[in-house]
Amino acid sequence: MSLKTSAAPDTAAGAGPAKPSGPTSRTPLHLPHGGLILVLVLVAVFTAVQADSFTTSQNLLNVLRQISVNAVIAAGLTLLMTAGGMDFSMGSNAAVTLSVAAQLLHSGWSTPAVVVVSLALATAIGLVNGLVVTFTRVAPFVATLASAMLLDGVALLVLDGMSVTIGDKMTGLGNDKLAGVPYLTLVAVLVLALTGVTMRFTTFGRDAFAMGGNEHVARLSGINVSGRKLALYALAGALAGLAGLMLLSRLGAAAPNTAGLMTQLTAVAAVVIGGTSLAGDHGSIVGTALGVVLLGVVANALNLLQVDSNYQFVVTGGVLLVAAIINEFQRKSTPGGH
Amino acid sequence: MTPTNPAAPTATGAAAPAVLRVRGVTKSFGGAAALKGVDLDLFPGEVHALMGMNGAGKSTLVQVLAGVHQADGGTVEVDGRPQSALSVRKARRLGISFVPQRRELAMGLTVAENVLLGDLPTRGRTVRWKAVRAEAAAALAGLGIDIAVDRTAGTLTVAEQTMVEVAREVRRGGRVLILDEPTACLSAKDAHRIRALVRRLRDEGVAIVYISHYIDEVMAVADRVTVLRDGTLVRSAPAAEMDAAALVRSMVGRDVVSTRPGRPAPKDESGLTIRGLTHGRAVQDFTVQVRKGEIVAVLGPAGDAQSRLFDLLSGRRRPDAGEVHVDGRRVPLGRVRASLAGGLRCVTGDRRALGLVAGLSLDENLMMASDRFARRRLHRRGELARRAAPLRDDYGVVALTGNPPVGSLSGGNQQKVLLGKWLETDPVVCFLEDPTNGVDVAAMADIHTLVDDLASRGVAVLLASSSAEEVMRLADRVVVVSAGRTVAEHDIDAITRDELVATALGGQPQ
Repeated sequence: MSLKTSAAPDTAAGAGPAKPSGPTSRTPLHLPHGGLILVLVLVAVFTAVQADSFTTSQNLLNVLRQISVNAVIAAGLTLLMTAGGMDFSMGSNAAVTLSVAAQLLHSGWSTPAVVVVSLALATAIGLVNGLVVTFTRVAPFVATLASAMLLDGVALLVLDGMSVTIGDKMTGLGNDKLAGVPYLTLVAVLVLALTGVTMRFTTFGRDAFAMGGNEHVARLSGINVSGRKLALYALAGALAGLAGLMLLSRLGAAAPNTAGLMTQLTAVAAVVIGGTSLAGDHGSIVGTALGVVLLGVVANALNLLQVDSNYQFVVTGGVLLVAAIINEFQRKSTPGGH
Repeated sequence: MTPTNPAAPTATGAAAPAVLRVRGVTKSFGGAAALKGVDLDLFPGEVHALMGMNGAGKSTLVQVLAGVHQADGGTVEVDGRPQSALSVRKARRLGISFVPQRRELAMGLTVAENVLLGDLPTRGRTVRWKAVRAEAAAALAGLGIDIAVDRTAGTLTVAEQTMVEVAREVRRGGRVLILDEPTACLSAKDAHRIRALVRRLRDEGVAIVYISHYIDEVMAVADRVTVLRDGTLVRSAPAAEMDAAALVRSMVGRDVVSTRPGRPAPKDESGLTIRGLTHGRAVQDFTVQVRKGEIVAVLGPAGDAQSRLFDLLSGRRRPDAGEVHVDGRRVPLGRVRASLAGGLRCVTGDRRALGLVAGLSLDENLMMASDRFARRRLHRRGELARRAAPLRDDYGVVALTGNPPVGSLSGGNQQKVLLGKWLETDPVVCFLEDPTNGVDVAAMADIHTLVDDLASRGVAVLLASSSAEEVMRLADRVVVVSAGRTVAEHDIDAITRDELVATALGGQPQ
């Protein structure tokens, strides 16, 4: 059986393999992440010209170390936001994980045991978020904002107002390099790559897109929406825990107010700058990676140019706003976009 | 056509000029012509009924008048002055108000606030709540509506919501009131209240456009009737000169777009048995049996009953009572996965909300359900395209570029993707809700062929439709429902199309 529709367009009618959309665009704004890359290049070139120290390997390695933690959080968040979810508590989850891990290491636990325990704890926290969001009708925004504040408090309680050092445990992860690249960055790149592969090449990832696009359709199509949500929140929790451990290994100590809600907001900013929609359905791990790098480079540039550190938030906010506006314009100009 | 109006029983006299005059209005959506040169005259103090089958162009016409859509050609004159480019705001300023089929009240606000919405009496910048209540109560009382103004809009019945909306429009100075199926899904008593309100407004000199599917109702309330068919005006005459049979003939008499082929006779075994299915007022004690290879149509006005059947059979909602058997096995209701596991495949009539993920690609939507049934873990685009290609072919889905987002396709193509998504997942029973909703004639013929093939494969098909045409074309048997209840059941050979339309539209029960 073959059907013919008179209204059918006559060119290249559905034949041939799927072509990637828009490879022939001319302006950078029409390339995927074109605007973002352009801004990133401009900022980098400007800083390199203004401050000689920007391009030294020491500085670049520093930037890479600093953004690695953020990248891990942002990777988990990208997947979750693509599925229409949101987790404001990942940074606070990282703070709790880092405090607990520091206390355990300080009291003499072995490093592998601490890693296992803190990752399990972080995953459990994520799972609780997932349970609340899935089985009550509280909006993810509200539920995870509440747990973020709660966890920030718990982290302070765990540290009891003191700074806890971990000696030279885990310093390898925090400071060593492999072929000139810090371990932290390798972990971050690995997490980003795995998330990207998951989103693109696994049914689990495509389920996230379907749920973010239209949860009703996803459920009616036989996707176990509740199960997927729990898994996604648990995964976000696990990645938050990993980020906490990475941060701890880099700093060598847990101080009050390390990580927490502010770290989370930077990650959210990076994800949004990367073009992932708060409403779900659109998500790109490449965009997130670029967003993380952009925010890291901007922060570094402000530092090197000796701009008052109070301006950092102003600039970060400005970058976020401009990127969000550009993303919205780009989305409108794509066919089939919303 | 010279606009004489002998039937207008109006205080301003029979010679009153038309308040609204439409000449040769055309409108098409993406190549499909919805209106092909329609004329219409509207006089003050007259109820003008607009009739026609689904897709005849009634809704498009009133949406052009209300400024929702802009006409491609033709003129619209208000009080003798031609109006170009009507927008919703402009139409409202000219006194044209539109009460759509789906009620548009702010459900969390009170009746009083809804009546005065956008025009709250204020002192300085604060709202004078006493005045709000008093004015709203006066507006309702002036129309003889008895609803407490302190109630929340969400607690009103559908009929009461309609009245509140009418009161709001009238208070805004509406001289032309367009009502799109105001009595659909209403009980006889509520429908009577709405009709009384309409008569009262007419007597006060408002010009009313009244869309309805019910012939009895139109004959009872209308002064003049205009019948549309396939976007053209078939007949426009005073109601007194029309009779029910002539109305049905002028509504139905269009060329059949596709002819009924011979299908293998249905098997004897039952595919789907529904007993006593009940949910609220939308579906009441619904019972039907569909054999394998048989198509049974559920015919009724578009609206609650059909989409509620979709909700119940797909497992989105749990019925108050009733049971469903597929292939002899009872299917527990209220869980999507249970319905799917039982072999029930439900194709929604609401593609946008419940059918497709607009932002995902054509292929991914097409394979969404079957990939999940197959428990695939990996997703590769090339391989997906290879698997989707034969399906695209079979279902006649055509895309300009390789694999665009499904939301960018035409309605007909989207509908085919939706059918392909479900019909290739080894269905035992298919529930199809209005499968040709909003598609052009060519795609409609394609979709009819697809449904024929489905039944020939031995699938039991339950088809919810609001089009008698489609039922005659596809079904072996037809169940006619009205206001949630079954009112008749016929073999398709034992009834003519006109009889079927008359049963379906003849009136509301009781």
